[in-house]
Amino acid sequence: MLRYAALRGICLFAVVVVAVYITILIANMGGYVDQIIKSEVRFRIGVLVNQNPAYKNLPPSKKAELIEGLYQQEIKRLGLDAPFIFRSHQYLVRALTLDLGRSLYLTSDTGSRLVRNIILERLPATVLLFTSINLILFFISITLGLYASRKYGSKLDKLIVALSPLSSIPGWFYGIFLILIFAATLHILPYGGLVDVPPPKDPFHYALSVLKHMILPVLSWLVAYTFIQTYIRRTFFLMFSQEDYVEMAEAKGLPPRIIERRYILKPTLPPIITDLSLTLISSWMGAVITERVFNWPGLGTLLYMAAIMLDSPVIIGSVVIYAYLLAITVFVLDIVYAIVDPRVRLGVT
Amino acid sequence: MKNGRFLLVLSILVAFMLIIPTMSLPTAAQEAPRGPWVDEVVFSSVADDATAISMLEAGEAHLYYYGLTDPELFKKVKASPNLWYAMSYGSYNELTFNPVGPEFPATGELNPFWDPKIREAMNYLVDRKYIADELCGGLAVPRYLAITPSFPDYARLIDVAKKLELKYSYNFEKAKAIITEEMKKLGAELVNGKWQYKGKPVTIKFIIRVEDERKEIGDYVASQLEKLGFTVERMYKTSKEAAPLWLFGDPAEGKWHIYTGGWVTTVIARDESDNFDFFYTPRGIPVPLWQAYKPAPEFDEVAKRLATKDYASWEERNELMAKALELSMKDSVRVWLVNSLTAWVARKGVKQAYDLAGGFYGARLWPYTLRFEGKVGGTAKIVTQAKIPIEPWNPLGGSDWVYDTMIYRATYDPPLMPDPYTGLYWPLKVVKAEVYVKRGIPVTKTLDWLSLKFVDKIEVPTDAWYGWDAKEHKILTAPDGLTAKAKVVLHFRDDLFEHKWHDGTKISLADFIFNYIITFDRADNASAVFDESYLETFKAFKEYFKGFKIVSKKPLVLELYTDNVYPDAEWIAANVASWFYPQGDYGPAPWHMITIGLLAEEKGLAAFTAAKADKLGVERLNYITGATLDTLKRMLDEAIATKYIPYKEVLGKYITEDEAVARYEALKKWYEEKGHFWIGDGPFYLESVDATAHVITIKANREYPDTADKWMIFGEPKIPEVAVEGPSNVISGLGSAFNVKVTFKGEPYKISDIDSVKYIIVDAKGRVTAVGTAKAVEDGLWSVGLSAADTSALPPGSTKLLVAVTSKLVSIPVIKETSFTALGLEDYLSGKLGEVEARAKAGIEPLKDAVSSLEADVGSLKGQISTLNTMLIISIVISIIAIAIAAVALVRRQK
Repeated sequence: MLRYAALRGICLFAVVVVAVYITILIANMGGYVDQIIKSEVRFRIGVLVNQNPAYKNLPPSKKAELIEGLYQQEIKRLGLDAPFIFRSHQYLVRALTLDLGRSLYLTSDTGSRLVRNIILERLPATVLLFTSINLILFFISITLGLYASRKYGSKLDKLIVALSPLSSIPGWFYGIFLILIFAATLHILPYGGLVDVPPPKDPFHYALSVLKHMILPVLSWLVAYTFIQTYIRRTFFLMFSQEDYVEMAEAKGLPPRIIERRYILKPTLPPIITDLSLTLISSWMGAVITERVFNWPGLGTLLYMAAIMLDSPVIIGSVVIYAYLLAITVFVLDIVYAIVDPRVRLGVT
Repeated sequence: MKNGRFLLVLSILVAFMLIIPTMSLPTAAQEAPRGPWVDEVVFSSVADDATAISMLEAGEAHLYYYGLTDPELFKKVKASPNLWYAMSYGSYNELTFNPVGPEFPATGELNPFWDPKIREAMNYLVDRKYIADELCGGLAVPRYLAITPSFPDYARLIDVAKKLELKYSYNFEKAKAIITEEMKKLGAELVNGKWQYKGKPVTIKFIIRVEDERKEIGDYVASQLEKLGFTVERMYKTSKEAAPLWLFGDPAEGKWHIYTGGWVTTVIARDESDNFDFFYTPRGIPVPLWQAYKPAPEFDEVAKRLATKDYASWEERNELMAKALELSMKDSVRVWLVNSLTAWVARKGVKQAYDLAGGFYGARLWPYTLRFEGKVGGTAKIVTQAKIPIEPWNPLGGSDWVYDTMIYRATYDPPLMPDPYTGLYWPLKVVKAEVYVKRGIPVTKTLDWLSLKFVDKIEVPTDAWYGWDAKEHKILTAPDGLTAKAKVVLHFRDDLFEHKWHDGTKISLADFIFNYIITFDRADNASAVFDESYLETFKAFKEYFKGFKIVSKKPLVLELYTDNVYPDAEWIAANVASWFYPQGDYGPAPWHMITIGLLAEEKGLAAFTAAKADKLGVERLNYITGATLDTLKRMLDEAIATKYIPYKEVLGKYITEDEAVARYEALKKWYEEKGHFWIGDGPFYLESVDATAHVITIKANREYPDTADKWMIFGEPKIPEVAVEGPSNVISGLGSAFNVKVTFKGEPYKISDIDSVKYIIVDAKGRVTAVGTAKAVEDGLWSVGLSAADTSALPPGSTKLLVAVTSKLVSIPVIKETSFTALGLEDYLSGKLGEVEARAKAGIEPLKDAVSSLEADVGSLKGQISTLNTMLIISIVISIIAIAIAAVALVRRQK
């Protein structure tokens, strides 16, 4: 068992190392980003110096000196004075030791340039919204799915099947309509944001205000994904409820609740837990468009901004955290599976 | 019954109590409070333009501090009864050409845009009016030249500009003819309607930016080129994708031919004379593309002279500008297309000043003018798309994002206030200034709060402060024989040192001296707070700075010596006034507030600038939120405990230990109340920051020295309304006159507020035949007199009269056009003769009839007379006969 765990751990770590290094290469376009940033810095400084009234009367040679000096200074600050290949290894070592370093441009909400702070400050809002959404979706879909699978062909089952195509449109799209209805027309819910303007001073009202701001984004995802997820679960449970041992239990006359819990839900638990774990981890990365539609200060927008601004340390930092979380989850699940089901253990066929 | 009466009386009293205050509200509403008009402003973030407009419509926000450029949303705003908007003119688009050639060294392919004549012809190929009206949905105006149509230089050179605009107006056939001829000269041939060079199609690689209106513009220009027979490869790219090609890449590699360029300016540029040097010569920016520019020697020389201000008078400067404009069109390494208009939207009932270049957030006056109509107080809700605060706020190296600056500028006063409509400066903390300029340097002044004198030499006195010894902590004085190009004597308000910082402490001379010291100390590597990243900007400052002297301590009078001379004396004064005034580049700078940051920096716990923070691996100081607040608090406690006086060797003469502690204590109390260390002296103070929710609240400073109505005259730009009246025909060789009515909201525009009223005559052949200046008749009325010589030069036909009015109150010139028919004298006279003949003919016919009728009448009369005569004769005869008979009878009786 220990050997199995060690091997899985080593494999996963190797995957993380490779994934992180590939991310470093991609985020920096193999060093090409350096060229882009350098050209932009030179241009920006050139324009700034030329547009700044304070430097209008500098002789051309002094102006050129000033531009060059400011350029070198900024390049040094960005760390672009060292070759990319050297920096890529530095990035890797730092990333693997969770020293996420400093961003190039982005700052955290409170002004920190430490990638760790940038990510951590956005994490609570992301977790609050998207983890909540995913948990609500999970429990609704499990409950309804199980119920529908047991009442196959019922009105509810037919309704779920009929409404499942709603997911063909993403949640943020419903979000726009919900904003139009509840914010722009009825004026009963906010357009977006985290809290009322101005923010309530006492924590209780602040929390209530945040909850109020969560209603529409949560609703938009529920409209979009409840039925499809329920449909998936229902199909999943349906498959299991046709297993021989379930039919045997039914033949034995066991009560439906016991059949559902012991004979259907229990054997399907490992894949459901896996699904839930991965969904929760994914939810920590936020959702770019939903965040933008609802102006929610989450990690998705941050990653989007980092990609737009070519802020590779932030991109790498986010990927590293995600990679570690994923690897740890997979590792734990592997161990759990191995304990629960010895067939999955290494060497056993 | 008694109860009933009592209730009645009570009801009446209550009604009175409710009604009376309501009745008195309008009067109270007109009283300007100290500080701003409103009580509170809350800034928050929105997702996009559409949400912001929807919130404004719903009354959930009052102003949108983000430029609106979407034509469809703009239509909605225009149609809304609840919204109003202001326009700003700060961004512009152009076509940037790759000038390498005629063949690209790397590929051997032909680059048609190497040829200046083809580049020049591109001006004819693009219909700027179509771009502005159709592609930009009316949110743009055509731009032909390197100077901005809404800025003062355009107004000064309106005649030259208009001439060039007419010359280079859209003419597809002309473009085609020139380009065809030049392409043939370059060795290309037109095969089946497609240009080929050395047997291969001439493919224009066109980088088209996709983020804004440049996508549509690029497509349009590409289509125009295709009509000429070019094969166009449309390379749609974002800024990041395009930059390595056009900006960083070597243009000789031939990876692109044209790029849809775009530029932004957030302030009114009063002097655009260096635009030619920047946009057309290798001196502009040290990137490969600029280094490939090879302007004609004459143009290069003119551009350089303008950039280095190598001229002795305004006349000479304007002549150089005119020349440069003409030569830049011949060069055309970039072809200007449109000046984009940005709409700034607000809810009706809310007013504020706005900047003609920077819109709502670009106006330094916004905090001083923001108000609800007919009401004092209230909370104004401002939304923007930015996630505020974007970067840390600290006065020496904090955020320079406009979304941060627009807020923190409300918290401190500048010594001089920029005029949002002209770009000039008005006094705020300063009351008057004397500006002395070395003779021979062309400088003018417009406003009366300062005087301008020219002198032969400006010597810097040896007791003037000139530097700082960071080791010894000593002020260094000016060396012997030091001279300057200008001297400014600034007289500050008498009550300056009664003004308070937000923590209740008073502004003092120590604030000025502290700021003088840190200006030098941070640039000296012997200092504990040396910042390498500050060095370059300090060097630039030292190029100009020639001396500083305190002439009087109360009222404060300062003498400042500089080599930084602008064409406007107001700008010279504004520049030197900002040198040591207690404000940094990024916020207010009371000495005690900065000191705690310097202490943190000295100990390596945090740093003011991003570069130093990155270098030390520490956080950048943030005075409003985040982890460094705790660091600052510790430094403050330490300063209190040690009764710390910064730069004690000098400031010890201006601050006592008790005074220092009192300031620190006030700051500590402020921090305990507000949770931040940001204190200024402006009309608003920072109340709270919710960095996660991106909400910032500022509140009215009711201890502010001035009342809210101080800047009321800047409520809106007084853009003149112009009407031209005159004859519909003008005769060659005869003088003619037109009336130009200049008003604002129906009221005559004062003559003293008008800078100039120029006119241009464009004849029927599209040539400019006369340019002149109208004469003032009275307020609101000017006269354009066309002399006999002017009219003689006009060929017959429809002629345009363009009148350009430039006001001293706004930078935008207003151009009004009217038409008349020009007639030659001969034509006119023969026309008149014809008219007379026709009129005579028309008059003679009835006369003839009348004569005939008269003749008939006379004939009839004659007949009647003849009958009468006959009858008379008969009567006479009868009478005679009767008499004869009577006589005979009588005679017989007597017998």
